[in-house]
Amino acid sequence: MLAIEGLQKSFGGVKAVSDLNLRFPPGSITAVIGPNGAGKTTLFNLITGHLRPDHGRIILGGEDIAGLHRVEIVRRGIGRGFQVASLFSSLSVEEAITATVLSHRGQAGIILRRFPLATSQARAEEIMSLLGLLDVRSVLSRNLSHGDQKLLDIGLALALEPRVLLLDEPTAGMGPDERWQMIEKVQRLWRSERMTLVFVEHDMDIVFKIAETVRVLRGGTVLAEGVPDEVRRNPAVIEAYLGVVHEEGRL
Amino acid sequence: MMSNTLYRDVAVSVFVLLALITLPFASDNLGVRDFIIFVSAYGLLAMSLNLLIGNTGMISFGHGMFFASGAYAFALMMQSGQFSIPAAFLLSVLSSAALALVIGAICVRLKEIYFAFLTLAFQMLIHSIILSWVSLTGGDQGLVGGIPRPPFLGIDLSDNLHLYIFSCAILLACVFAMRQLVTSPFGYTLRMIRDNQERAAFLGIDVFRMKLIVFVIAGSIASVGGIILALFVSGAYPNFAFWTTSGEAIFMIMLGGTVTFLGPLIGAIILTMLSDFVTVYTEHYGLVLGSIILLFALVLRRGMLDSILEFWDRRRAPSASHELAGEAAVDARD
Amino acid sequence: MELETLAACVASMSCVVTQIISGLIIGVLLFLVASGVTLIFGVLKVINFAHGSFYMLGAYLAYTAYVVTGSYTVAIVVGALGVALFGILFERFFISRVYGSNVLMQLLVCYAFILILDDAVKIIWGSEYLSMGMPDAFRLPPIRIGGGFAPPFYLFLIAIAIAIGFALWVIVERTRFGKIVRAAAHNGDMVSALGIRTPYLYAAVFGLGSLLAGAAGALAGPVRSLTPGMGFSILIMSFVVTVVGGMGSIAGAFVAALLIGVTRSFGSIGFPLFVDGLMFLIMTLVLIFKPTGLFGRRFA
Repeated sequence: MLAIEGLQKSFGGVKAVSDLNLRFPPGSITAVIGPNGAGKTTLFNLITGHLRPDHGRIILGGEDIAGLHRVEIVRRGIGRGFQVASLFSSLSVEEAITATVLSHRGQAGIILRRFPLATSQARAEEIMSLLGLLDVRSVLSRNLSHGDQKLLDIGLALALEPRVLLLDEPTAGMGPDERWQMIEKVQRLWRSERMTLVFVEHDMDIVFKIAETVRVLRGGTVLAEGVPDEVRRNPAVIEAYLGVVHEEGRL
Repeated sequence: MMSNTLYRDVAVSVFVLLALITLPFASDNLGVRDFIIFVSAYGLLAMSLNLLIGNTGMISFGHGMFFASGAYAFALMMQSGQFSIPAAFLLSVLSSAALALVIGAICVRLKEIYFAFLTLAFQMLIHSIILSWVSLTGGDQGLVGGIPRPPFLGIDLSDNLHLYIFSCAILLACVFAMRQLVTSPFGYTLRMIRDNQERAAFLGIDVFRMKLIVFVIAGSIASVGGIILALFVSGAYPNFAFWTTSGEAIFMIMLGGTVTFLGPLIGAIILTMLSDFVTVYTEHYGLVLGSIILLFALVLRRGMLDSILEFWDRRRAPSASHELAGEAAVDARD
Repeated sequence: MELETLAACVASMSCVVTQIISGLIIGVLLFLVASGVTLIFGVLKVINFAHGSFYMLGAYLAYTAYVVTGSYTVAIVVGALGVALFGILFERFFISRVYGSNVLMQLLVCYAFILILDDAVKIIWGSEYLSMGMPDAFRLPPIRIGGGFAPPFYLFLIAIAIAIGFALWVIVERTRFGKIVRAAAHNGDMVSALGIRTPYLYAAVFGLGSLLAGAAGALAGPVRSLTPGMGFSILIMSFVVTVVGGMGSIAGAFVAALLIGVTRSFGSIGFPLFVDGLMFLIMTLVLIFKPTGLFGRRFA
């Protein structure tokens, strides 16, 4: 579904992403991990069109989307959840999701009917139910708890019916219990929607629990990849992280 | 979710219209009627501006230019003697819409403060043109000589009662139209643009086009207000296009509230009442009015209707939602 | 349009010199006022809509000081410092309360102030036009310059305004205070994180900006008649200058102010009814083609 070939991106002499090659089969769930500065967010930004690659191709369903405008890329089915939730602060959860569904269906400019339109409302219900947001449906986006904001952020991405969903640290800023709840929801939505899901994550336990495949990035290239068990036993990976432990005091 | 019931809004509009119409028969007070006509004109100016400010986050300092364009176009057409009132009305609104289209296409691209200043610049440019083009506009005297009002459909606008009912009907029709806009998917799209333009664009929304459309609609409705004012004062004057007119509209919005739908209209009522009241009781208009406005700005910190709404909300639950056209994120800006 | 009159003027050296000098007068006064606006905006990110009223207050304070002491020097100092003090109080008690708020709320506060101040001036000084008259030191015959004549006061005014502008430049570019001001303009949070007491800084900046407006008012005294409405038109013009020059740029304000001044001066000959229009046309064109202004830098 999504393939990265020879991707390269430098910022003023520093290679953020260097000759990267990855394949994400359709319907797969992959975790991308790696120490800070490994190029994970840059990779996402390149895929979603926030950044232009210096070299390389990004193939989505057979088409090279590298360098296309962000909006074009979204239209082709790449959705993204952001590290810092990017929401519509004054809209309630259901309003925001419904409005996003409407935009996706090209109905954002309708003046002569009243919001919401029944079909979009139905889809919004589905999404809220999938993410467990039904309880807070009437809460304004800006009044949501941190966790719910991240969920809503994902919900907005879902509303665009993406073929590929990129989640940038979905559990960031959460306590351990909340993290599990969140990642379970992510897993549930993956199973239900069957899109290709790629997520960046720092919590190793979570990664190894739900990812089918794990890709370890370091210094802008792939250090290792494979099923979780292999990766966690890979000496290079351990070294990369142990090195990180020495530097940062955490894994 | 919002109870965007069409039926409720229609019912309320009809009810209010009937109430307003029966008012002159209940009370002989011409002053009240004049007050309402005046407030209709400025109310439309303020409400249409809030489509931009409160609903879309586009702060325009130059909205008064459409007020003026409506008034002048209408007055000129009627003075020419070649148009009936409905025709002149329609053409004035259309020409203001065209003006808004051209100016909007240039301005809407700019962000925030630059948009505000460019709209102001255009308005003052138009003001200067009005002042200089004496042969057309009468220069700083304005279009004097009154506005001929040939009767149409049995309505004679030289009769104060007819003018009153006409203004009320127009006001309610426009308010209803704005209500429809604000509760439509388009209205929500505008609020998305207001809250997070980046993400809205990311969703595939053509932000430029949406902003331009609302700019044109807002300008058109403002021009309707201008027509009513022109009829009321029997002329069109350059100060309609002076920046103080836009300023007044902004103050009405701030006094009444940017968040609640009817806030600007309430603000128009408040400001007009305050001004009338103050001029009657004291010579020191500036001192009194200024102090009151300061009170609003520093103590209440939001418009009247918004304050009432917030008070109401707090009595329910802390994070309760409310049945309105969404909260203005204008406060939480950089 | 009076194009023949304009052409005739341009052909005549004395007319050109006269017009340039009156253009410079308008220009330097505008520069002082606009530099205050742009300074306050650059650091505090607030558009001081009441700035025109500060100009007016400076003129009136100077008038009274002149009437009382007979010394124009004292009048200038009183005008400048009086308004500076007023500006500091205004900032501390009113503007500081609306720092985070939306620009319209700030506009509302400033507008309320304009109303109050205009009325207060009317109460204290009356609403008829007042005239300071030319101070004795300048009751001299016009000086001949390049074929035209210029009243000595005009030259004094231009010189003083440029001196003030230069002093401002020195303060901003060469002193420690100026360094802090520039840093705050770039990154306000950083400055307070560095332990600099932002309330004092903000008050100082606002005071400086107001001082400039007050000084302009005092300097304008001999050549403009005083009336409670005099703040309005200078306010609008100073916004034009600020926008054209670039918001936050003092050098820009200088260039733009002179440009506008000279345009108005020649414009009043060629397009007497459209003088303001010319100014707004320039503003429109700048905003369309270079919104950040002639010297503007983008504040993120």
